[in-house]
Amino acid sequence: MKKIYLIFFIFLSFQVTAQIKKVTLQAGGLTCSMCSKSIYKSLVAVPFVQDVQSDIKNSAFIISFKENEVIDFDPLKKAVTDAGFSVASFKVLAVFAKQTIQKDAHVTFDNKTVHFLNAQSQTIEGEKNFMIVDKNFVTAKDAKKYSKLTSMKCYETGVMESCCSKTTAANSTRVYHATIL
Amino acid sequence: MYKYSIAFILLMFSIVNVQAQPPIGKAVPEIVLNNVDGSPVSLSSLKGKVVIIDFWASWCGPCRLANKTLVKLYKNYKDKGLEIYSISADRNKNAWKRAIKSDDMTWINVFDEEMITATQWRIGYLPFTFIVDRRGKIVAADLEAKDLENEIKKLL
Repeated sequence: MKKIYLIFFIFLSFQVTAQIKKVTLQAGGLTCSMCSKSIYKSLVAVPFVQDVQSDIKNSAFIISFKENEVIDFDPLKKAVTDAGFSVASFKVLAVFAKQTIQKDAHVTFDNKTVHFLNAQSQTIEGEKNFMIVDKNFVTAKDAKKYSKLTSMKCYETGVMESCCSKTTAANSTRVYHATIL
Repeated sequence: MYKYSIAFILLMFSIVNVQAQPPIGKAVPEIVLNNVDGSPVSLSSLKGKVVIIDFWASWCGPCRLANKTLVKLYKNYKDKGLEIYSISADRNKNAWKRAIKSDDMTWINVFDEEMITATQWRIGYLPFTFIVDRRGKIVAADLEAKDLENEIKKLL
């Protein structure tokens, strides 16, 4: 019996290389993001969202997720834009089980492909924060700054491009761009 | 060991309880915060009155708009036993005081600088109101301006 558990555990640990714990999101707009129910209600309504806690002091929404659900970043961004606001910052806390990352290389975990812009070759393990820095996940001003960190076209398009090397993924695959904090 | 685990479980529960919005139908948890003069005002001292607990901030436009409704309600129902306990999420004390004056908020105004209550009560957005009946029980939360008056009329 113990063996089965062990096998199961090993299998599991290969399958899940990173688990997204929470997202801390700040929104921008014409009015303050905390002064409207719209963002809060919109985020709570995202199917894989477990809970949204408002940090009024820092104007941030702390989002936690349902277990065993695949978490994606675009639906969260859409929830904010549907509410009439824009995302100003998007910080992700994830627990990694030994993941090697390199500058301009793609990492795939939890069904998402992430391109780390500023990372030196390193192995990350345990809890790590990273920022999603794609267009519409940061302010327009910041997006300009981040676009200078790579010459690769995928930052502009948000999908896999021919310049993206060492990958078998299709060209249309969504690529998120991130910086490790 | 058994004793410790019970204590641990109770502790876990108490932590969960602290980080939750007070449920409608339950007794309102105690709040003690300082007013404009810096003196503590407790929620429990208002027992026997119908209380609107109002989370707001001077920088929050919709809150300032809602203040207009509160001013009207307070004028009309103060003598019948209505009290308002406005908890500010301001960081700037002067901005807070200025807003109280210009909006004519003549009721109880307290300052929650670290936003401990708003966090503990899991306030998702501002403004956010709770209504507490004469016995100290929460009867409604997050009502629109027009529903606020109907609810208060019912309770007074």
